[in-house]
Amino acid sequence: MNDANDRKHFYVCKEDDLADNEMVRIDPPDQPPVVVYKVGGNFFATDNTCTHGEASLAEGEVDDDFIIECPFHGGTFDIRTGEAVDFPCVLPLKSYPVTVEGGCVYVNLDEGKAPA
Amino acid sequence: MPTIKIEGTGEQFEQTESQDCILRAGLTAGYGLAYECNSGGCGTCKFQLIEGEIEEPWPTAPALSARDIKKGRKLACQCKAKTDLVIKMRTDPEYAPINLPARFEATLSSRRDVTSDIVEFCFQAPDSADAKFLPGQYAMLTFPDGRGPRAYSMSNLPNGDGVWEFWIRRKPGGEVSGALFDELRVGGRIVVDGPYGHAYLRAESERDILCIAGGSGISPMLSIARGVLMDPDMEGRQVHFYFGGRTPDDLCGLDELKVLPGFQERVHYHPAISMPEESPEWTGDTGFIHEIVENQLGNELSRFECYLAGPPPMVQATTKMLQLQGNVPTGQIHYDPFY
Repeated sequence: MNDANDRKHFYVCKEDDLADNEMVRIDPPDQPPVVVYKVGGNFFATDNTCTHGEASLAEGEVDDDFIIECPFHGGTFDIRTGEAVDFPCVLPLKSYPVTVEGGCVYVNLDEGKAPA
Repeated sequence: MPTIKIEGTGEQFEQTESQDCILRAGLTAGYGLAYECNSGGCGTCKFQLIEGEIEEPWPTAPALSARDIKKGRKLACQCKAKTDLVIKMRTDPEYAPINLPARFEATLSSRRDVTSDIVEFCFQAPDSADAKFLPGQYAMLTFPDGRGPRAYSMSNLPNGDGVWEFWIRRKPGGEVSGALFDELRVGGRIVVDGPYGHAYLRAESERDILCIAGGSGISPMLSIARGVLMDPDMEGRQVHFYFGGRTPDDLCGLDELKVLPGFQERVHYHPAISMPEESPEWTGDTGFIHEIVENQLGNELSRFECYLAGPPPMVQATTKMLQLQGNVPTGQIHYDPFY
């Protein structure tokens, strides 16, 4: 199902594996982990490691407002852009394009971008 | 005496009669309960109550967001156990105290005006018990009648004479700082609980030191600078000391730094004021202290171990500048967010 080398089309999970406001961490080879979120029926992906305190964001909480809250210090990011929203988070995360094809969710790991 | 168990970790401790919250009971027992400010402001010590009953005197503490309240999260620094508890809370060895905190009643041995609104208070521990802390740490002060606690940073160095020195700024309308200023005279008593805090001097770091203080943040920065100059193992390190006040009347600390051995060669003191319109005679730097640091040290910031203390807007603006413009790694930036 997943060609490990296919970074542009990296398989994450089935569309129905996640309910709204749930997320899953993936550990692609040769890069830091990524977290894929489902909010309002849509999928988003960012780096999984908080830029402040080495926490795994997949253990935090995401709500309808597209904000992921870090489990360690309560800093937040916008999952749509990776932008740091609340202190102590200052540096942005990279966000990645996500597509859904035939009920499967894929992330393009080669197109990770930090907001300007 | 309630016992508090942390779910899934095997960690458990007792909250004794004299202890005023779950967090400090756990830290005093030596456990690494996650925390920073100890004052209801940062949210690092959030927990979920699984079993038991608590007292929560300040359910609207600023660290609790609408989301936290909706999800029933509490702050370990603001809650006291009424019965045995099971809680879910993050612990990590990095939070375990290096010097176990202790709670004791101390006596004011001297007080001295430093500026128009900062006073140096020196407290004497009973039996001259060692004042064990690391430069940059803080303690919680409470009046024997229960007013408080408030977090204040020590300005002196750990010592064998039992002296805990604080430079405290009078907070307009502040119940505890107001009472310290107006009521506490030499011979008066205060309950000291400490040390706490993670913004302590990293003596093992090879980097030069950058201290950035605003207002009352002078107290721990003075301790850090004293720590560097008095520690023979830190002999090679330079200290760049930035201190921002509103007007020249707020600037202080230079006299205390000047008497340290090696001051001339190793300390670079940069005062600045943010309200020059009130002081036409001032010829030094003006503006916000984070802007002055950026202008002067811009592209060399990442070579410093950075210590910050001051009002939250100053600490936040400075942290952002250090990370975004200075490329300073998070691990080299140290502050305790309770001011």
